[in-house]
Amino acid sequence: MTKPLKLAVVGHTNVGKTSLLRTLTRDVGFGEVSHRPSTTRHVEGARLSVDGEALLELYDTPGLEDAIALLDYLERLDRPGERLDGPARLSRFLDGSEARQRFEQEAKVLRQLLASDAGLYVIDAREPVLAKYRDELAVLSMCGRPLLPVLNFVSSSQHREQEWREALARLGLHALVCFDSVAPPLDGERRLYDSLALLLEKARPQLQRLIDDHQAQRQLRRSSGARLIAELLLDCAAYRRSVAAQSTLEQGAIRDLHQSIRQREQRSVEALLRLYAFRQDDAKAGDLPLLDGRWGDDLFNPETLKQLGVKVGGGMAAGAATGVGVDLLVGGITLGAAAALGALIGGSAQTLRSYGERLKGKLKGQRELSVDDAVLRLLALRQQRLLHALEARGHAAVDAITLLTPQDASWPEGKLPDALHKARAHPEWSSLNPAAQLQQSERELQLNALASALLKVD
Amino acid sequence: MRPLEPPRPSRLQRLWLSETIRLREEYAGPLEDSEIIRHTQAQGGALGERIQTRAWLLGERDGQVQALQHWLQGARLAGLLLVLLAILSGSGLAVAALGDGLRPVNVFWALGSLLGLNLILLLGWALGLLLSRDGAGVLGHLWLWLSAKLARDAQAAQLAPALLLMLQRQRLSRWGLGALVHGFWLLTLLTALLTLLALLATRRYGFVWESTLLGGDSFIALTQALGSLPALLGFSLPDAELIRASGDSALANESARLSWAGWLAGVLVVYGLLPRLGLLLFCLWRWRRGCAALSLDLNLPGYSLLRERLQPSSERLGVCDAAPTHLHQPLAGHNAFDSQGALLVAVELDPQRSWPPALPNSISNAGVIDSREQRKQLLDQLSRFPPARLLIACDPRRSPDRGSLALLGELARSATATRIWLLPPPPGEALDSARLGDWHRALEQLQLVHSDSAPFSWLEHGHD
Repeated sequence: MTKPLKLAVVGHTNVGKTSLLRTLTRDVGFGEVSHRPSTTRHVEGARLSVDGEALLELYDTPGLEDAIALLDYLERLDRPGERLDGPARLSRFLDGSEARQRFEQEAKVLRQLLASDAGLYVIDAREPVLAKYRDELAVLSMCGRPLLPVLNFVSSSQHREQEWREALARLGLHALVCFDSVAPPLDGERRLYDSLALLLEKARPQLQRLIDDHQAQRQLRRSSGARLIAELLLDCAAYRRSVAAQSTLEQGAIRDLHQSIRQREQRSVEALLRLYAFRQDDAKAGDLPLLDGRWGDDLFNPETLKQLGVKVGGGMAAGAATGVGVDLLVGGITLGAAAALGALIGGSAQTLRSYGERLKGKLKGQRELSVDDAVLRLLALRQQRLLHALEARGHAAVDAITLLTPQDASWPEGKLPDALHKARAHPEWSSLNPAAQLQQSERELQLNALASALLKVD
Repeated sequence: MRPLEPPRPSRLQRLWLSETIRLREEYAGPLEDSEIIRHTQAQGGALGERIQTRAWLLGERDGQVQALQHWLQGARLAGLLLVLLAILSGSGLAVAALGDGLRPVNVFWALGSLLGLNLILLLGWALGLLLSRDGAGVLGHLWLWLSAKLARDAQAAQLAPALLLMLQRQRLSRWGLGALVHGFWLLTLLTALLTLLALLATRRYGFVWESTLLGGDSFIALTQALGSLPALLGFSLPDAELIRASGDSALANESARLSWAGWLAGVLVVYGLLPRLGLLLFCLWRWRRGCAALSLDLNLPGYSLLRERLQPSSERLGVCDAAPTHLHQPLAGHNAFDSQGALLVAVELDPQRSWPPALPNSISNAGVIDSREQRKQLLDQLSRFPPARLLIACDPRRSPDRGSLALLGELARSATATRIWLLPPPPGEALDSARLGDWHRALEQLQLVHSDSAPFSWLEHGHD
């Protein structure tokens, strides 16, 4: 088992060190983040593992605030006639009393960096390159540990990436990573770990494992996310309510329908947030346009009729297939035939019964409400946008995402996937309907097809 | 090892239970499992292994394991009944085919009742295999429906759907059911064969064939065609003369009886027993292979959510260097001794900002100080010529860190009166109100007067 690589996350106060840790560990609750300077006053660690093996330890440190004075102090530590190197000078400083008084916070940072394999020096890219930052780097470089500058807030319009690049190059730091902890680039972690691997060649295998695992996890989360969305869409497409054809009753039923669809969408939002390890209130489903409801044309939907035929036929085939009904009664042929017939009817009775009930409702003047195609499209679009937003969201972000109805007029058009047309004819596939049968293999098949169609769209 | 430790559950059982728990959590919400998660993490292993361990521990706690054991017991009992039924019907078949021995045995009637039903159902099975898409089939649905009716508690309700769902993923249910059906028939036919042999060994049967429409030649051809394959295996084949003679009446001679009996047994073995045996082995092979390929579908959202808890990719290590009880606080102050003049100085300004603004002549400008050397120079100068009024301009977009505040304090200590000017943002930008608040708080702690507009009249004349 390899020893985990230890990294100290260091930098000026208020540049987003804890935010970077939150994003790298995908842990929204790590440490405390605020606009105040010196929010973090302790050193706190987090460990990244792959398949249960610890590969990386990250340490959040307090911000450096008084580097100019500290550098001044450090340079006065040389006794006359001696010339200390960086680590020797630091160890004299850390043994002295100022390390417990004025420079206590700075001493914590330096101790942690000395105990680590490398440091990530976080920079607020919106800041001008001031002398105090140069002095910070001078102090940190005394630790004799490789430093990788990480430019935070690069998605801000006022960032000064170029200035920082030049300044860092003058200090001999040529490798540098742009990593916005609120909106990290999709391959940001890979680039960060790749750059680290350049600085720490012997740690390359474990960093590569980390990169590969992140890639695999992202794929996994995406396909899980697509499946959650597919479940939502199938639930909504197969949802139906029967109501007597009276306008007041219809209005009430439409409101109920609307309400249940909204709640179902919110459930899906929450599941996606859980999947991506965000807080439950990090995204909210906005209003749905009020549904008109579709009228009971699904009864003569070709899929419904086809299903009726296929089921009866399939029941026969399957009845013969298992053959067990007859097999059980080897002695008497008539008895066996009766049992086979029974199994056959049993196989399709449910289909016939449910269709019969719907037909009866139709004859009694009832209407069947189901969810409009346009609403299904809207749900699909909104959820996919949420999935994208969550993929691109750093765990340091604090603003909530709101799912709005898209403004462009093209969304209500286009073809719905086949699976949703099929689902229209299968009320038992929707968990919103009573007497749902969610384990049907056909439903499972359509769910998978729908999920992969959703993945392909991106 | 304790003597009463229950046998280790098979892989199939563990997968089945994991799927059951997943379905249960999907419909009833997550289960409380913090203790079990700790146990599971302590045991280690790959993610799939951990999910199975968790499911098994949850199942033991909530009763699904017992339900599963009950189900398995029931299945074993049903299997035993099926074996009994096979034995009974097998011997029944043979007895019915041969009759009581008083009348001669019609060979094709006997053959039909021994093999007819078997062959028809075999054909049905094969057709079903080709035609049916639904892996579970009628029997599966029947079982699902029955178990939903019989499952009295919610704990066990997901067992049957979970098994079907899991088996469908590798299309295993058809092979499992196939193995069951073929095994049943194999046993039936085996019993029939043994009974047949026992009857033939202990009773004297005469064999005839009868027909109104067909002639003897057709019978000879049919009998020899059917018997040619068994004959390869060493079963006797009646010759044409014998067959022709058996058309009239049952032959009394011993060799004819022996020959017919051997033919009958051979046909039963080759067209009844061997196909079923072959199919049984095939189905078992497919079942074994499918079972080995069975695994948890870790793509399912239910399992994705478990991943972070069972095998966290990141975990907090806690605080390893605690926060101090109080931070070092910089102090301000003032210099009461012979100071004179007014001075404007800016601290850590953005180089892009134009500085200084137009100043009255009576105010001197100390420029922008940023680096250590500039600080030192200014402080040296101020200690020699302390100003009466000092105005320090700060950019509130910077963060009010201890180093800057200490500098402000040190500068303030060298002047008689000091004010801080928090500069307005450059055109087109806005100040972060939270950060501005931080500055106000920090300056109030330093007891320095601050304003967001330039107090030039104070600087020039000493009053506002």
